[in-house]
Amino acid sequence: MSSDREEIEKLIAKVALGDRAAFEQLYDRVSAKLFGVCLRVLNTRAAAEDAMQDTFVKIWNNSDRYQANGLSPMTWLITIARNTAIDRLRATRKGHQDIDTPGLELAAPGPNPEQAAVAASEASRLSGCLNGLEEDRGAAIRGAYLEGDSYADLAARFNVPLNTMRTWLRRGLMRLKECMSA
Amino acid sequence: MSDPAFTPSDEDDLLAAEVALGLTEGEERAAARTRLLTDRDFARRVADWQERFVAMTDDIAPVTPPAKARRALLARLFPGRRAPLLQRLWLWQGISVAALATVAYLAWPMLREPPMRTPGEVYATRMAAEDSALEMLAVMDVARGDIALRRVAGDAPEGRVLELWAILPERAPISLGVLPEGEVTRVALPAELAPRAGEITLAITDEPPGGAPGGVATGAVMAVGAVAEL
Repeated sequence: MSSDREEIEKLIAKVALGDRAAFEQLYDRVSAKLFGVCLRVLNTRAAAEDAMQDTFVKIWNNSDRYQANGLSPMTWLITIARNTAIDRLRATRKGHQDIDTPGLELAAPGPNPEQAAVAASEASRLSGCLNGLEEDRGAAIRGAYLEGDSYADLAARFNVPLNTMRTWLRRGLMRLKECMSA
Repeated sequence: MSDPAFTPSDEDDLLAAEVALGLTEGEERAAARTRLLTDRDFARRVADWQERFVAMTDDIAPVTPPAKARRALLARLFPGRRAPLLQRLWLWQGISVAALATVAYLAWPMLREPPMRTPGEVYATRMAAEDSALEMLAVMDVARGDIALRRVAGDAPEGRVLELWAILPERAPISLGVLPEGEVTRVALPAELAPRAGEITLAITDEPPGGAPGGVATGAVMAVGAVAEL
């Protein structure tokens, strides 16, 4: 896995220098995963293809920011795909706001090597920890991440007042973090 | 919103999670964005949440996208890739075949650029004037910021030097320097001229040794030519 990570990092670094061949290699390497993510969020192939295309345009345009944000390369790529797909999904809903601007949400101000990002071993606990939450809270977090639900959407889905929903979800997030870093 | 159960650090973490999920709205969202750009610790918290949440995509199976998606993407990112420079040279009008060979010679370093580099704007011109035997060819590479020149015929009058000028509409001529004696030379294209490179007319005047006094041309125009894009 680590050599996978290194290879993808190298490709992103080359893409940042405008290396078109590296960009095509990166596409061939990760497009199936990113397309899968877009499909999961958007459900239709046409919309997912559009979202994936937008994702790769953002990758091309923002690859120089990758080094600075401290994310693992697949997290960076998948996060752009997820945010792009969610934006597209939300665009069909009322009063939507873009959540994805790779220059903002994905850019941490400077690398922080000594303070590594969440370790892979920790991330692998997510599923178990989500399942360990009270059922609705886990479902709400999944709904926000994979379906782009807002607090209002979630409140409607679980039929609770908005503030209650927010309190639930935040407590769920805190529990999640404790569980994952335990 | 604050919850008495949480410390300020917890609140930061929760806001970071909400940003990563895209749950912040309105003013809170604007404030969080600003913070993301200015607060390193907060940005780290958001990145940590992104790293945690991404595990929700672990069980999403890869799906190979159709080949047409790849083609559409590449066509969108790299539209109408410019014809190779050599091809553009052949298409360049208003220049004799002999002169073309010279321009190709001047452009040779540009032709040898690595193929990955999309050729940028390249302009060329043939400079000449009535009553003057001087004839020069120039190839201007905006990306490299230089102008390659080759003297085809003619020379500076006895005791005078040749000085190159860039002429732009509504501006005083800008000296690009005195040309050395050799047949082929390169001069820098000032970066400030790059945005208007396509409007430049190059001209050569004869000047006293050392160049035009005070940067103002005093001699006769010995050759002039407006650049054309290759």
